[in-house]
Amino acid sequence: MSKKIKITLALLCLASIVRFSVAQEEIVITKQTWALNEKPLPIAVSGFTGEVHNVIRFDLEVLGCKIVSTNEAQFLVIGSNEGRVQGKLIDLISGTELLSKAYSGGTLRLQAHALVNDITPFLPNRGKGIALTHIAFRITRNGISEIYVSDYDGYNPRQVTSDASIAAAPEWVPGQFALFYVSYKGGGPDIYFHDLETGVRRAFARFPGVNTSPAVSPDGKRVAMILSKDGWTDLYTAPISGGELSRLTKSPEDESAPTWSPDGQWICFAGKPRGHRALCKIPSKGGEIQVMRIGAPSPTEPCWSPDGRWIAFTAQTRAGFDICIVPASGGTATVLVPGEDPYWAPNSRTLIFTRREGDGSKLYLLDVPTKQVKDIPKYLPGEYSQPAWSRK
Amino acid sequence: MKTANFIKLSIYVVASLTLLTAGCSKSKPRVTPIPGIARPSGAIGTEERLQPIRPTGGLEEGQPIPFGGETRLDRSLWTQDREKFKTETVYFDFDSSVIKPTERPKIETVAAFLKHNPQYDILIEGHCDERGTIEYNRALGERRALAIRAMLIDLGIAPQRIETISYGEERPVDPRHNEEAWAKNRRGEFVLLIPPGN
Repeated sequence: MSKKIKITLALLCLASIVRFSVAQEEIVITKQTWALNEKPLPIAVSGFTGEVHNVIRFDLEVLGCKIVSTNEAQFLVIGSNEGRVQGKLIDLISGTELLSKAYSGGTLRLQAHALVNDITPFLPNRGKGIALTHIAFRITRNGISEIYVSDYDGYNPRQVTSDASIAAAPEWVPGQFALFYVSYKGGGPDIYFHDLETGVRRAFARFPGVNTSPAVSPDGKRVAMILSKDGWTDLYTAPISGGELSRLTKSPEDESAPTWSPDGQWICFAGKPRGHRALCKIPSKGGEIQVMRIGAPSPTEPCWSPDGRWIAFTAQTRAGFDICIVPASGGTATVLVPGEDPYWAPNSRTLIFTRREGDGSKLYLLDVPTKQVKDIPKYLPGEYSQPAWSRK
Repeated sequence: MKTANFIKLSIYVVASLTLLTAGCSKSKPRVTPIPGIARPSGAIGTEERLQPIRPTGGLEEGQPIPFGGETRLDRSLWTQDREKFKTETVYFDFDSSVIKPTERPKIETVAAFLKHNPQYDILIEGHCDERGTIEYNRALGERRALAIRAMLIDLGIAPQRIETISYGEERPVDPRHNEEAWAKNRRGEFVLLIPPGN
């Protein structure tokens, strides 16, 4: 084929694409939900090199995509990263160009994430992009643990605490670049609020005994937590700016790890009603406890999905820990993969979790429908645990 | 059908690659414009300027968020004696905060000492083995410490002299991952608190 013919062919092709993309702009992407046991989505990535290629590949695999050659793929991400990232998303079944974009500013890595973020809503059942989100977690070294935040893929970790004691249980404030977490710096486990924009930290709950497991309500107005100031470990809520505590449970039994329903009406927690470990739900303004019968052994660490459909949690067997999900309205739990402490991404599809292996622990990303797992590289040494996904 | 798709696709890929290469190379290839195409060949639809990610703001201690009630006592000037009750460490069964009859005499020993030495206070550390999730164990460790505290109170020690702290599974005495290590790690430890000037 001579060069002239090639270019003419290409332009003819482009002409049809442009027409398609004009029509495409009028199509509203309807909100779809995923189902369990989806097959990975075959997608081809072409034209990128080095770090940009790796980032695009990683981001797509996290979303349950399988990177294949172009003739096996349903979608094609094609572009370049000479000086800046530019790329297109092509639906190879219909031959339609779905997106065409270039990026400037930030780093090439950030631009690569931004491209996948923009592509994501066009991929079936993937919802909004998560490639530009952040996570918080803790790293433990020689018995000392500190809180860190990073990009969602573990890159660019930034140390939040330097208390040289135990820090734990980070939780994001919805819509803000701010955290609640636990630090033992004041002589015991106390809850702190830390604004990461200004750097100002304020003590939140520092009652005698334990103050732990902070969870901020979706409207950002209240904080649920576990306190033992009244002699038992019980579930409390309090206004985010201080004031009056509200005690939700009153029993010598276990209560741990509260999580809010997205409408703020309910709090789910790990309990032990009548001697059996179970997930429990209680109205967030107080009321009767509902025990969830889900058929999973020793469930703890529930996390309610932002779309309200699912509760992810850790089940414990003799062999170890498993990541499970159960419909928030009740039903039977599904075991996904070995691991513990799951936390939902804003897309209500991806989970981040911890897995202890040998003498270390690491963070992993799980695409729930395809059960595809990606490990988060450790850019710093130590044991990673207790991940929480930003809600901004 | 499959072959047709494949041909369509191959043409597309060749075309796209050619366009992108053309768009990026320094010496621009001569391209004859085709009427009816609104955008120049190989052009990217829109361009977005990204903001670099904000740095973390550092750490500056602000005013505590106000709550009523008692706050944790500042004991930073007190000294801790970890040796005094080393042999009185209370051990627990798996996933339990019930004090076993074998462990009761240890708590009675501590209570007797505190009764005769009213100048001292006591800290009870609750610990767990690693078989449990981190926050579950932080709560379980506290329940173990609280169970010991309740018994000390029953034995006549004033509640304000007894502090509890839960380390969950974060401070194992034996880091191994076996039954023997776990049994040693499920414990409540007594730390004697000595006020300044004693």
